[in-house]
Amino acid sequence: MLDIQDLHASIDGKDILKGITLKINAGEIHAVMGPNGSGKSTLSKLLAGHDDYTVTAGSVLFQGENLLELDPELRAAKGIFLGFQYPVEIPGVSNMVFLKAALNAQRKARGEKELDAGDFLAWVRHRVKLMQMDTAMLSRGVNEGFSGGEKKRNEILQMLVLEPRLMVLDETDSGLDIDALKVVADGINLMRSPERAALLVTHYQRLLDYVQPDYVHVLAGGRIVKSGGPELARELEEKGYGWIQQAA
Amino acid sequence: MDMLASYRRAFEALPAAAQTAPRRAALERFLALGLPSTQLEIWKYTDLAPLAALPETALLPEAEVSTTATVEYADGLDALNGAYASGMDRSIPARTRLPEPLRPENRTHQRHRLRLEPGSEATLILNTSGDALFQTIFADIDLAAGSRLHLIRISDAGMDAHRVTRVRLHLARDAYADVVSVDLGGKLSRHDLHVDLNEPGAEVHVHGLYAPTGSGHVDNHTWIEHRAPHCVSRESFRGLARDKAHAVFNGMIRVHPDAQKTDSEQRIANLILSPGAVINAKPELEIYADDVKCAHGATFGQLDTEALFYLRSRGLPESTARALLMWTFAHDILRHIPLDDVRGRVSQRLLRQLPGGEQVGALQ
Repeated sequence: MLDIQDLHASIDGKDILKGITLKINAGEIHAVMGPNGSGKSTLSKLLAGHDDYTVTAGSVLFQGENLLELDPELRAAKGIFLGFQYPVEIPGVSNMVFLKAALNAQRKARGEKELDAGDFLAWVRHRVKLMQMDTAMLSRGVNEGFSGGEKKRNEILQMLVLEPRLMVLDETDSGLDIDALKVVADGINLMRSPERAALLVTHYQRLLDYVQPDYVHVLAGGRIVKSGGPELARELEEKGYGWIQQAA
Repeated sequence: MDMLASYRRAFEALPAAAQTAPRRAALERFLALGLPSTQLEIWKYTDLAPLAALPETALLPEAEVSTTATVEYADGLDALNGAYASGMDRSIPARTRLPEPLRPENRTHQRHRLRLEPGSEATLILNTSGDALFQTIFADIDLAAGSRLHLIRISDAGMDAHRVTRVRLHLARDAYADVVSVDLGGKLSRHDLHVDLNEPGAEVHVHGLYAPTGSGHVDNHTWIEHRAPHCVSRESFRGLARDKAHAVFNGMIRVHPDAQKTDSEQRIANLILSPGAVINAKPELEIYADDVKCAHGATFGQLDTEALFYLRSRGLPESTARALLMWTFAHDILRHIPLDDVRGRVSQRLLRQLPGGEQVGALQ
């Protein structure tokens, strides 16, 4: 589904990613772990189309198509979803209006029929309940006055509504208490299917206790320095990142 | 002044009964003072020459005489309004809350006097949406101890409109006023807001939005005078200018020597949407007391790129995402309009004139 080959990227002339190669097949969940400043967030934002980064070498194919040529909105329509580390507040635009606009914009771009208000309401209410949120949140502004945990929950809600093919979650677990973490993990597990894949970017192993990854990669200094199975995450949790960086 | 002779002729065309002595005195005062010149600092960016060039048929002094004429005038415009206007002269009885907002009759030239007796509460709407080519609205409002005023001023006239409005608020002990001021249209619009916080505990909140389009010119000047200790002021103005429009904002906060424990905050934010648009925004702070809390800030900018990326990453086309962010920028002011019908009307009008606003409207 996603094929990253020797990806190099920089911001303001500073190299951040220094040759990443990563292949994610449909049905797989990959975790990317690493110390702060290793390039984790850069990788996720770059996949979603953030234009702060300049790709200096390498390629990214998504379902066989050159992803790097596409605008963020087109990547979304093709099935890429980025769960933000710091979701943005959009006061004055309700969650309902925003979600419907986003879903219908994507459906339109894919040549599908847009949902009318009634169908959409049923679609979204069901998912709000799955995320154990109050449906009253639908009439509130997007992330307006939400706590850190509520914002992350809202990211997962948006993901459930938009039903992407590739879920890229950038530190979605940070700042969550254990109950919220479980709800977020349930949301991700709900989306797990043979047609979908996920890239979980995280600093801690915590989330991986609830969402079992197929592969774990350690990112340090802009490169993947080690890959393995779920046991690698536990090893990192015990030993920290020091030994990996030294080995690299 | 010869150039203003048409103003005299229009006045003299009024029925004799309308040409009262105070009005005539005001007219003479206006003709003697003339229109304020751009050589004055507070008129630096706003040239009133177009007012002298208006056709006589556009001047339209009010035939009905009200009791709101005064004897002293602050400047030529004040005197002109005194000579031409008619309006409401009301007092809200003590400890009474007006159930309905005051909506003065839609006259071309209006001069209102309102007094809120102790503990009373009222909402006043000043609206310049009429199609008159030239309109002036002046209001002088006294807030007695513990009274509360909600003032909404909307200027959404057509592209030919010339508007001069001026509001003075005088707040006594523990009086409270919130003001929402919106400029969405017109060719030439000038609004002055004077707030006197005269006694301890008085509090004012001002929210303003200016969004001129085309070749429109909008000038807002505010003066918030902290004249007594323990008063609070909050002022937030936002501007969006597109096309070749020109917006001016000048906000003076003055803390007088006795006004210890003043708590004042002023925020100004501007978005310039077209290369040909200009915004001159200037905060001014004069502090003559030493134990005060005054915060202020002014920003000029483009849309928040992180927010833009967030919206696009969810699938919204760039133009829709931009329009949504402009809308939220303005909404931060409009949400303070306490009346649903007025807020709805103003919002619709704003969406019509924002680039891509129809896309936002279609989402609601």
